[in-house]
Amino acid sequence: MKPSPEASRLLDSARGLPEGALGVGLRILHYPYIIEHTPNVDYFEIVSENFLGPAHTPRQRLERVRQHYPVVLHGVGLNLLGTAALDEAYLEALCRLADEVGAPFVTDHLCWSGAHGESHHDLLPVPYVPELVEFAAERAYEVQRRLGRPFGLENLSSYVEFRSSTLTEWEFYTSVVREAGCWSLLDVNNIYVSSQNHGFDADAYLAAIDFSRVLQVHLAGHTREPDGTIVDTHDHPVADEVWALYRRAWDMGGPFPTMLEWDARLPPFPEVLAQLAKAREIR
Amino acid sequence: MTARGAPAWLAEFQARFGEMIRMPLDRSSGTLAATPALYPQSLVKDVQNGPQTRGEARLAVYNRQYWFRLFEALKSAFPLTSRLTGYWAFNEYAARFFLSHPPRGWDIERSADGFEALFADAIEDEDGRRRQALVEAARIDAGFRRVFLAPKTASYRPSSADATRLLDGRLLPSAALQILEEHSPLLEIRARLVRDEVESRLELPPALARSRWWALVGRDHAILQIPLEAREAELLGLLGAFSIRDALARLEGACSPEERAALPAKTGTWLAQSVERGFWSGIRFGE
Repeated sequence: MKPSPEASRLLDSARGLPEGALGVGLRILHYPYIIEHTPNVDYFEIVSENFLGPAHTPRQRLERVRQHYPVVLHGVGLNLLGTAALDEAYLEALCRLADEVGAPFVTDHLCWSGAHGESHHDLLPVPYVPELVEFAAERAYEVQRRLGRPFGLENLSSYVEFRSSTLTEWEFYTSVVREAGCWSLLDVNNIYVSSQNHGFDADAYLAAIDFSRVLQVHLAGHTREPDGTIVDTHDHPVADEVWALYRRAWDMGGPFPTMLEWDARLPPFPEVLAQLAKAREIR
Repeated sequence: MTARGAPAWLAEFQARFGEMIRMPLDRSSGTLAATPALYPQSLVKDVQNGPQTRGEARLAVYNRQYWFRLFEALKSAFPLTSRLTGYWAFNEYAARFFLSHPPRGWDIERSADGFEALFADAIEDEDGRRRQALVEAARIDAGFRRVFLAPKTASYRPSSADATRLLDGRLLPSAALQILEEHSPLLEIRARLVRDEVESRLELPPALARSRWWALVGRDHAILQIPLEAREAELLGLLGAFSIRDALARLEGACSPEERAALPAKTGTWLAQSVERGFWSGIRFGE
């Protein structure tokens, strides 16, 4: 659904980025090109955890990028659906980093990533049940309060569905965002990946999204395994089917900021820029 | 902050999922393969079959991802070691390491902490020179990693008050400083690996006629690699452990008479350069 004019004003303020901005995930191998050429990119998204520790070298590099571009934070370690208490030290470091880089918003995933004292360093699914909507929403609300800025949750790509689920993935996702009063980071590739892996209708997912809560949209490439499973590898150009889904999302809820993630088998930066040009052309 | 509202079944579910995800990959077929037959049955029963695959096979995606992500993290922290060892053998050391040291924090970069020591103890089936080179490679990779992960530290500059008693002070090495020795040209090889996407095992380079010493130091957004003379490296090590006076005396004691004659001029230069290059973060008196 398209945002109302009032919701649009609220949304523009939460995004803090130009309407329809096109961004890229900042990766170490691209630093030299970015520093030398200051390419035409509206903003960069960083993986928060790469800059939360005391290490000085990454922060120095980030500072050089930040002098030219807005930077938003995207985490993988919040463990929103973990059963341990939210990590105070982690949240504190996240707040500090967001303040230091002047991030308009911060995002992470609707998932769990560790339990019983161990971290699995993956974005893991849960059964979709109302009980966990309340649990996740309460924690997401708390994270947003602590951050003092818009906090967005990303929908997962997943490879399993649980018999114990009583909600669809999109019912679960949109309910958590709504009840937490937080925002969405809508990953169109993830919708496509999960729709293929689980046999659901990607357009039904899109139709459930309240675009007045979408801070930004992610695009990425994926890999199809020999057994037909699609894995969210971020190591290829965006697939044609995902571009088509992106176009439909744009028609439903655009304009919105769009960010390209490319994490493995990184191509030279101009190839990443070509994907942004394609996004501009398609919508 | 408390985890109010976490249902009890969620902790049990995550324990079962965690058990599945950490299950070691089987190497017997010559590739790293998941063994879904060993997954907790109560978890498998809750997973729906997919359009093309059974539930166990779908869980195996997470099992493989867990291990390959950690293997990649360790390879990226130890690029030289992993290429010299060969990925197949390196992954076995990595698996052993992560089974005994499962990652605990949110920072995957820190999951490699402690690998250097395990690797040095665990290397098998290698002749003496190859073993020494692999241990040295791990030490070099770990050195780069420590400098990269070092916090910001102000460089020590002697104040006028320090100047009068400088010889009695012990210099404190910067967290962003590592002194490394190599018996083969390993640092050159490491520098070439940065964008090398080849995965085959690297042959060990011929040994150097005499070992070389290097200082790695974090500077702004880069890691500088500075060649050192052997005695200079020795002095830097002594300076971090003893007062400047004692360090100079110990170095002198270790030198031949011929070396000793040239030593005062050299040590003056080395000391001044070390301060200039930001090798020290402070000085401590009265120890």
